[in-house]
Amino acid sequence: MTVAVVERWVETPLRHFVQDAQVTLALLLTPSGQVLGQHGFNRAMDVMAACALAAAIHASSAELGKLLEGKPFAGLHHAGATRQIFLAPAETRRGTLLCLTVFDDATSIGIVQLYFGELRDRLAAGAPSARTTPPAVLADSFEQDLNRNLTLLFRR
Amino acid sequence: MSLVNYATREITCKIVYYGPGRSGKTTNLHYIYGQVPSDRKGRMVSLATQTDRTLFFDFLPLDLGTISGFTTKMQLYTVPGQVYYQTTRKLVLQGADGVVFVADSQARQLEENIESLQDLHANLGEHGIDARLVPLVLQYNKQNLPPELILDVPAMDEALNFRGVPAFAADALRGPGVFETLRGISELVLRRLSGAGAAAVPPAAPASGSAAGGGAPPTRAPAPTARASSGRR
Repeated sequence: MTVAVVERWVETPLRHFVQDAQVTLALLLTPSGQVLGQHGFNRAMDVMAACALAAAIHASSAELGKLLEGKPFAGLHHAGATRQIFLAPAETRRGTLLCLTVFDDATSIGIVQLYFGELRDRLAAGAPSARTTPPAVLADSFEQDLNRNLTLLFRR
Repeated sequence: MSLVNYATREITCKIVYYGPGRSGKTTNLHYIYGQVPSDRKGRMVSLATQTDRTLFFDFLPLDLGTISGFTTKMQLYTVPGQVYYQTTRKLVLQGADGVVFVADSQARQLEENIESLQDLHANLGEHGIDARLVPLVLQYNKQNLPPELILDVPAMDEALNFRGVPAFAADALRGPGVFETLRGISELVLRRLSGAGAAAVPPAAPASGSAAGGGAPPTRAPAPTARASSGRR
């Protein structure tokens, strides 16, 4: 079972969730669609697309909830014939994170929701208290690299 | 906000193409998608209406390669331009690191351009972002149309470019200006990373995978679902 993470503090909670809930795919992301951790994908580009769509689903369903009753939905469950999706937010000191998970008949929505509760608690407990202010990220020569890569990208 | 992972030396940035309806935002992404080698791009996702108007957004992930030792990825989004998709535009704009404002150079579209630019400023404000500080470039699209139908670059600058940001004449359908626009916004966004403003992952926190997406086992694609239900808070 492989869990890949961008931020290490999400690794253990995500690993526990995947193992306990027996889900086939799991994504942790920010509401703007940036991935923090994942299980089950094998292409980074697919992860990005899935994150963009998950953030969009969350944003639109939250707005719909506000429109209907003045408050966002707490989660969204989408049930298909063989696979199901569960998407829900988790509040942490690092802000709101979203968890998108896909599962089949090896588990159930009840189990997934149960262990999502534990995931949410673990994330809340393990989140760093503040963002680390980054040092200068890029060298002065970054424009040379950028120009070279853009030229390669567009084959010009 | 840019995501910088020092452990795996990766940068991920979100760039939003904004502008009035039919100005050429989706066309920009289609052109980029068509030009970029397949190993440097992901699948282009378009949530569109039956008439190919953008309903929610278009999304195109790009791998810019290594810059200053960081693997750099750009996530390109468009917003729906039609006035009644105001809420959607605001949602897509969330977390943007840079904005490309695609203006329609046709003289009769001037009012729509101005309204859309005002809409952009308002939506940035609602996200708590100072519109004067966010990396922004302008693209004056459709400059290939007959001169009697369009405003030239100085006239477009006069009408829209009060911040004096980089501006590019373009013909997004055929390509001129598309590449230059992407280069322009990429430079602004990456230059900003030299200062504060990125969500950083400390160097002392090695990640378990090379990046999200690396090394994980293959999986099946999610299938369309038959029914939906939602829990309430």
